[in-house]
Amino acid sequence: MKLYEIVVKDIMRRKRRVLYAALGVVIGTMTVVGILTIASAGETKIYRQLEQYGPNLTVIPAINNLDMKLGNLSMGTLTVGDNYIPQEQLLKIRQIADSSIRQALNITDEGDIATIAPKLYENTKINGVSLVVVGVDPQQERIVKTWWELAKGDYLNEPDQALVGAIAADLLKLNVGDTIALNGSSTKVSGILKETGSADDYQIFIPLATVQSAFNKAGMISSLDIRALCNACPVEMIADSINKNIPGVRAIAVKQIAKSEMGLVEKMNNLMLALAGITLAVGLFGVINTMMASVHERIKDIGIMRAVGASRKQIIRIFIYEAVFIGIVGGLIGYLFGTALAYIIGPLIFEGTTIYVVPQYFPLALIMSIVVAVAATIYPAIQASEIRVADSFRSV
Amino acid sequence: MLKVSNATKIYGEGPTRVVALDNVSLTVEDGNFIVIMGPSGSGKSTLLNIIGGLDYLTSGEVILDGKRIDGYDENALVGIRRGKIAYVFQQYHLLPSLTALENVLLPLIFAGDVNSEKGAVDILKGVGLEKRADHKPSQLSGGEQQRVAIARALVNSPGLILADEPTGNMDHKTGYEILELFKRLNEGGRSIVMVTHSPDIAGYAKEIITLQDGQITGRTKQV
Repeated sequence: MKLYEIVVKDIMRRKRRVLYAALGVVIGTMTVVGILTIASAGETKIYRQLEQYGPNLTVIPAINNLDMKLGNLSMGTLTVGDNYIPQEQLLKIRQIADSSIRQALNITDEGDIATIAPKLYENTKINGVSLVVVGVDPQQERIVKTWWELAKGDYLNEPDQALVGAIAADLLKLNVGDTIALNGSSTKVSGILKETGSADDYQIFIPLATVQSAFNKAGMISSLDIRALCNACPVEMIADSINKNIPGVRAIAVKQIAKSEMGLVEKMNNLMLALAGITLAVGLFGVINTMMASVHERIKDIGIMRAVGASRKQIIRIFIYEAVFIGIVGGLIGYLFGTALAYIIGPLIFEGTTIYVVPQYFPLALIMSIVVAVAATIYPAIQASEIRVADSFRSV
Repeated sequence: MLKVSNATKIYGEGPTRVVALDNVSLTVEDGNFIVIMGPSGSGKSTLLNIIGGLDYLTSGEVILDGKRIDGYDENALVGIRRGKIAYVFQQYHLLPSLTALENVLLPLIFAGDVNSEKGAVDILKGVGLEKRADHKPSQLSGGEQQRVAIARALVNSPGLILADEPTGNMDHKTGYEILELFKRLNEGGRSIVMVTHSPDIAGYAKEIITLQDGQITGRTKQV
């Protein structure tokens, strides 16, 4: 029989007490894991949005609002500039985007690199319901909208087809093969998208040329999304270059929007981590308290062991073994409970966020719990091993 | 051979000052069976604790096989408890989570002595408990528990066994069985110092020392 076997048998005898001792560790670990998991979900949401939100850049018409004044009188605001981007600018924009990326990444390939997806938005009424029709380049749009999934039917193949968003299809009671009247011409529903949780659900996507001719907007687009596949693509540079070289448009890097959201998330995370730290500290006191009590209730056993020849080091080893056991059990349960806690509370803090299990937190939780448990045990164990054997029996 | 010289043990200070032992001297020759007797509070258990190093002296000396052990620190005392001196207590003091055999093995585990483990079964047999080897203390009678404790005390082959009221928690009949066991051990060559407040045990001893209020009041040798 080995030393640790003595520990295991003793733990089996005192199961409830040992679990109670582990409770302090569980609470501390649970809180830290829970908060870290929620925090990482918040971050992941943003990163996924960054990933999912296909474009790195959005180019919109440059619209300036001029405040009209006559002397000191304000005459209201005049919107100056076109609401549309001429389609011919597309080529120039592509050139800028592609050459910037080629430069930055040392690509010699002369083919198209960036995905450029133009869009033409038109408000219209279909069967009495107001909707937005979006003229798109089917191929390019598909690449940008990485999260699109078909619920029914097929993607856009013909110029006179329509791809309907989930909620729009519901509202209009549309099915695959149905005909939609489009300002005079008609299109057939080729497919219906699955719900995306974005504005796409309320829109109908039709090849650009069809929308342009239906609404008399030949050669015009409302905006375009640029997506370059790489994280290191010089998005800001491209935006700058477009802004400088192409009149009447404004390029906005999507990252900037996401970055500010990230900043907010970080602030939230720091607050929650501070709370977690406090809880951990409180939990630590609980653990220390319990471990001290645990050592104290074993004073007689310690006396017995020393009377039969246990050295102080062996006594301390026995307590450390028990602390490790408590750390492992507490860490395991704390990780499970913490993740469960994140599942329950997370969506309340970050609305509509899916909480993902973070397996990397498991070894972290284990190590932290073991360290805490051992640290809390060492001092009382050393103290206990110094009591005179005769006194150990006396106090019982 | 163990010698106690002018041992004094004082607890507390001022109004709570208690002189538990007052200038006590005694010698334990090899193979002796000494019984220390006296009323409650006479200092018998304190004396036994001092002899065995379970407690410290206030002044005086304890010499074991020519070496002074009263000043030993805990680490050095460990060496004594692993094979020189062993203890048997009134409350048996077995570890409740271990079986009888495991309790007997306990000293060997701490001493790191794997070779003597087989001998432990024989020692259990020697005290008549081989059939109870797998039982935990809660499943053993008082007498059986004490026999396990005695077996445990023997497993490191100590020269001296210190027993503090070993039969105090049991009925007469069981008590006599235990004393017979001690007598056998003594006849086998081990020195025994036993504390008791029961005069019936006297018949087993080779030497009786009486204590009162921390002082030796009588020393009788008998055959």
